[in-house]
Amino acid sequence: MKNWLHGIRTLVWKDLVQEWRSKDMLTAMFAFAILTLFIFNYAIELSPVNRAEIAAGIIWVVIVFAGTLGLNRSFTAEQDQGCFDALVMAVPDLSVIYLAKLLTNFLVMLFLTVLVIPVYSLLYNQSLFSLPLLGVLVLGAWGYAAAGTLIAGMTVQTRMRDLLLPILLFPILMPVNMAVVKAAGGILAGAAWQDYSLWVALLGVYGIIVTVISILVFEYVIRE
Amino acid sequence: MLSENKPLKLLFFLSVGLILAAFAMVLFYAPVEQTMGLVQKVFYFHMSAAWVGMLAFLVAAVCGVLYLAKKELVYDAAAFSAVEMGLLFTAIATFTGMIWAEPIWNTWWTWDPRLTTMTIMAFTYIAYLLLRRGIDEPVKRARFGAIYAIIGFASVPLTFFSSRLLRTIHPTIFGGNSGDMALTLQMYQTMAASLVAFTLLFAVLLWYRARLAGEQALLEALRAEQTEDEFGEVENG
Amino acid sequence: MRLEAHDISKSFGSSRVLDGLAISLEGGQMVCLLGRNGAGKTTLLRVLSGLLRPSAGEMRLDGEILDFADDHNRQAVGLVMHQPYLYEHLTGLENLRFYSRLYQTGLEQKELVSHLSRVGLGKSGQKPVRGYSRGMKQRLTLARALLHDPKILLLDEPYTGLDLSGSQLLNKLLLEEQEQGRLILATTHELTYAHQIAKRFDLLSRGKIAESIQNEDLPLQELEAWAARFLDSQPSKKAVPV
Repeated sequence: MKNWLHGIRTLVWKDLVQEWRSKDMLTAMFAFAILTLFIFNYAIELSPVNRAEIAAGIIWVVIVFAGTLGLNRSFTAEQDQGCFDALVMAVPDLSVIYLAKLLTNFLVMLFLTVLVIPVYSLLYNQSLFSLPLLGVLVLGAWGYAAAGTLIAGMTVQTRMRDLLLPILLFPILMPVNMAVVKAAGGILAGAAWQDYSLWVALLGVYGIIVTVISILVFEYVIRE
Repeated sequence: MLSENKPLKLLFFLSVGLILAAFAMVLFYAPVEQTMGLVQKVFYFHMSAAWVGMLAFLVAAVCGVLYLAKKELVYDAAAFSAVEMGLLFTAIATFTGMIWAEPIWNTWWTWDPRLTTMTIMAFTYIAYLLLRRGIDEPVKRARFGAIYAIIGFASVPLTFFSSRLLRTIHPTIFGGNSGDMALTLQMYQTMAASLVAFTLLFAVLLWYRARLAGEQALLEALRAEQTEDEFGEVENG
Repeated sequence: MRLEAHDISKSFGSSRVLDGLAISLEGGQMVCLLGRNGAGKTTLLRVLSGLLRPSAGEMRLDGEILDFADDHNRQAVGLVMHQPYLYEHLTGLENLRFYSRLYQTGLEQKELVSHLSRVGLGKSGQKPVRGYSRGMKQRLTLARALLHDPKILLLDEPYTGLDLSGSQLLNKLLLEEQEQGRLILATTHELTYAHQIAKRFDLLSRGKIAESIQNEDLPLQELEAWAARFLDSQPSKKAVPV
């Protein structure tokens, strides 16, 4: 167990440093997110009446799409430099690689969320600073990262790479999409906990199921 | 198309016979439903096709697990065939659903949980097939296909529960409010018959398709050998 | 220290790349593996390193079965392949520190620095790997492979991309490792350099070690003639259907 944690920590640290130094992915994701918000401004008329419900939807859509940029990049270093082999030989269990990537992608999603919320609030003059909202988005980010890491691990090894990731990820991400938007919408509209608690539970269940399946199955992504 | 394989040939004729019988039952045996009228008869095939669509996904996921455990390519051929057939039946289910929905609710598409889940499932199927197309190596293709079939199948109940939570206008037949469709015994019998017929048809098609997939894989392997000539000369282009 | 492999078979789909192969390696006796492109040299290295599971056969290290699920055994191998296994945005030193942590070697900063100096990267260690030349990356990869003090060192075409001084440095290092008793197996086409340090040459053909020759007072021309005989006169390699 201690072995595992040590391995995960080392891998996560390496990924974060790599990404921080290049800043390619983070900048691209952020730019993409802001631009998409602008597009939404021209696409949807936000009246004070429908703002609450729609805000949740817009935020999540932006996060989902910008997130794919991050997911696509998460394995490119390993794939292009052949580091998969080196990691496989070094770690005690291949799930360590999955968990480390999952954590990295999760942190990147959180980072994206934390950037998008204030910008949205600014652009649309609507305060989105709410702890429950953040909680829901955190759960959503976990589900997204859990499924996305598994899928990205595969798509990076195919011919079509980046093109294939959304096609494979989005269908299985639907429960998360529905749950996040419904729960977030509820929170922003001032609904009581009971009204949206089921959605939060669904997010939790999804996160657990997908993470567990991925841990069991990930070794087949990397080796025969 | 008709094979030398005796049991398979038998099954094929049996399934064709059953489908025709079920069709006859739908047309003549089952009574016309009170509220919905004649168009309701589409329902028998619609539900059977939807059931097969789900069954196919289950078969694909199970074959996926079996492949990862045993590494025998026959499971991959079976999974691949199941997905193709499943996509076909799901398409049938979607279209018959639309035909049924239009006169009754006056709309071609409804954001109803069962319909949305089925459509999302269809897209998962398509994603599976695209994933396979993006991989040239047969073993890797089988591995990744298995993984995606497993995670895809796991997501279906979650998707269903989510969309169920979201909205419902699909008539719930068993349990809940069955006020939408009045079902008689004859209708149940007809439905049972068409379910059996469709399942058998699926099994037969699956068998044929899996055999074809196996032969395609063999051909691919032979081609690969051909190109590995000593001086890189390729005999079969 | 001895590594023995018996009956190793590995198929990819319907083509059998390794077919009942047997090979034995001893510490301090570097072996060079020759063979035509596609003969299975890289596959053999991947099997010996634990990256690939053979369809059949067993491997023993000093008499004990080599089971790569065991931490201890995984750490016994150092692998240098065509790809550098390096992270471009980290410096040379950081790459070493990363792998050192993964393998839990407990090495300290100054020991890592001395590993770098040994491969001639003492000064460049603080620069990101992105700016390294092919030769520098190759040397760093070698340092990385030796970091956890593996009993077995496997190298796949290590001279590729190295210039004269790089190849000479590599030979010097490999000679040192040999003297320390490490088990070394390298594949290569560069007979000139390999001839200077390897003790034995094995030839991989049709999935087995077909021929073997000791490098004792063996003139380079004879070695080249021997290799040429087997590499050119072999009939076309047809993958054996399983």
